[in-house]
Amino acid sequence: MTILEARDLRKTYRLSKSNTVEALRGVGVTIDEGEMVAIMGPSGSGKSTLMHVLGLLHKPDPNHGPAPELLFDGRSMTDLSDRERTKIRATEMGFVFQAFNLVPTMSAIENVALAAEYAGTGRSKARNAAIESLELVGLADRAGHRPSELSGGEQQRVAIARALVNRPRLVIGDEPTGNLDSARSADVLRLLRRLNRDHGQTFVIVTHDPEVGATCDRTIRMRDGQVVSDGRRTTDVAA
Amino acid sequence: MRMLRNLARRRLRTGLTITGITIGIWALVVFSSMANKVDALVSGGSDYYAGKIVVSDGGFGGIGGQPMRLAQLDELSAIDGVDVIVPAVTMIAGDIQGVSFGPPDQVYGTPFGADQGRETYVPQLAQGRSLTAADEGGDVAVLGTSIAAKRGVAVGGTITLQDRTFEVVGILEPTLSTPDVTIAVPFTTAQQLVHADLPSVVREQVVADELATSFIVFPAAGADHEALAESIETQFPGVTALTGDGYDASVGSSVAMFNSIIVGIGLVSLIVGGLSVINTMAMSVAERTREIGVKRAIGATRRRIIRELMLEAGVIGSIGGLLGVALGALVVVLVNEAGRSSGTVLFELTTNTAVFALVFSTILGVIAGIVPAWSAARLDPVAALRYE
Repeated sequence: MTILEARDLRKTYRLSKSNTVEALRGVGVTIDEGEMVAIMGPSGSGKSTLMHVLGLLHKPDPNHGPAPELLFDGRSMTDLSDRERTKIRATEMGFVFQAFNLVPTMSAIENVALAAEYAGTGRSKARNAAIESLELVGLADRAGHRPSELSGGEQQRVAIARALVNRPRLVIGDEPTGNLDSARSADVLRLLRRLNRDHGQTFVIVTHDPEVGATCDRTIRMRDGQVVSDGRRTTDVAA
Repeated sequence: MRMLRNLARRRLRTGLTITGITIGIWALVVFSSMANKVDALVSGGSDYYAGKIVVSDGGFGGIGGQPMRLAQLDELSAIDGVDVIVPAVTMIAGDIQGVSFGPPDQVYGTPFGADQGRETYVPQLAQGRSLTAADEGGDVAVLGTSIAAKRGVAVGGTITLQDRTFEVVGILEPTLSTPDVTIAVPFTTAQQLVHADLPSVVREQVVADELATSFIVFPAAGADHEALAESIETQFPGVTALTGDGYDASVGSSVAMFNSIIVGIGLVSLIVGGLSVINTMAMSVAERTREIGVKRAIGATRRRIIRELMLEAGVIGSIGGLLGVALGALVVVLVNEAGRSSGTVLFELTTNTAVFALVFSTILGVIAGIVPAWSAARLDPVAALRYE
């Protein structure tokens, strides 16, 4: 079953009057539920932009070339208001960032519970969900610690717990292993893989890291704002 | 709790901002308390003068003027529109030292029952009794609350005026106005006191029991007070006839000036406090740009971001307000206590003032938080996430 379907995504950023960047030049991807997909490519290839559009953080440009289409769970996302997109991000998507991006004044459990509260869960229920989510990443015993008291790997696991707390169908990762050494990186990857297998959640991960690509079911390669290859791991290794 | 932790992130900056608001609110509270005291004095006077005309020979309301002749009472009552006339004797209690804020301490006497029930300004007794017709000629007194406190006497005690010893038979409830500093004695006693206080040249020409320092005229129903006052002044050259409206007009302008000072202080604290809250919140938004980006990305609505930050600004405002009110109250209490022995009660801090100052500073904080909160909510989450 298809969870994400995108066609003709275009995005041009105007950096100054004379300098525009065509980050996406008509991208189409289809992602099935339960897949774990890596988006790879050199810097400036448009992979981050694609992730932002798929994650409803940015809208595709509507007005040049064929009309873009973005379906999430069969629903069109292109004409939603900021409020509607925010609600979908809160309730049906999870985000993991390269720099962990935990709120420094909050403990691990509060950081995780915050995402549940944004999704409309009451305080005490959000706290319970946060504990469960921290258990899932093996950090329930560190629940009361602030980010500054946790290692980088632990912080990223807290961020993953935060992304998972609302049991989203789609988790989007932006270089989730980018700030970790190879051992921690491998831990986080194993965790993501296990979560994907155990809970059937869909993962879309933007990465430079070939290890991540090798762990995923499928790799979409981008260059100059376009998809240059899209295939299962076996074909990917050859490419 | 989370909000307080956010505020605690930059203790110095938050502390300075709160200090700024505290000083503004402190000034607002102290000056408002002073204004409250002035207002109480003025409205006490206003209540006293309402519905009557006070006729005196110079001075203000009979204090410090030349003595009049009791015989003038008959001439006054002949004027059209005059209903009841009460002679009164007022003198400054000269043996009481110290500069005071508000009316000077004074001795006051009027014949018992002469107002025929027209006097509506009757201070309540706190203890003892009021003067009666039987006290006439006796050395008894009813004290205002400040006088009693200053001299440390209760009912049954004594006070001394011009080497005469007076028994205190009653003490009034506080009015925050002239009665607080008044020693009421029987009319004939007051006449004797005033007479003895006159310069010897004048004293030889008048007899004590023909003296009055002012007349309180209660106009007939329907009479035009202003017109009556005017005709009294025409018929008795040199005499001042002050109506209730006249009193209000003469003190109104000084009260208006005082109140505009308060408004000015309020405005200054609004601007200074408001700007420093805006500054603090704008800096804290800039510092937390990434955090705001993350919150937006993981599902915080714009409204939620605005609410979080405005609440934070409101807390800064209300903490500043609380401290300002507390410090203001402390100053008011300390200064009043220090001045009580000399009868100088400068301030009157009312609940209204305290509540207003608190609400004012909280709203100030919230409003000052709007602009930074709004700009935070408008951030593009992606750009905010990349912000270093």
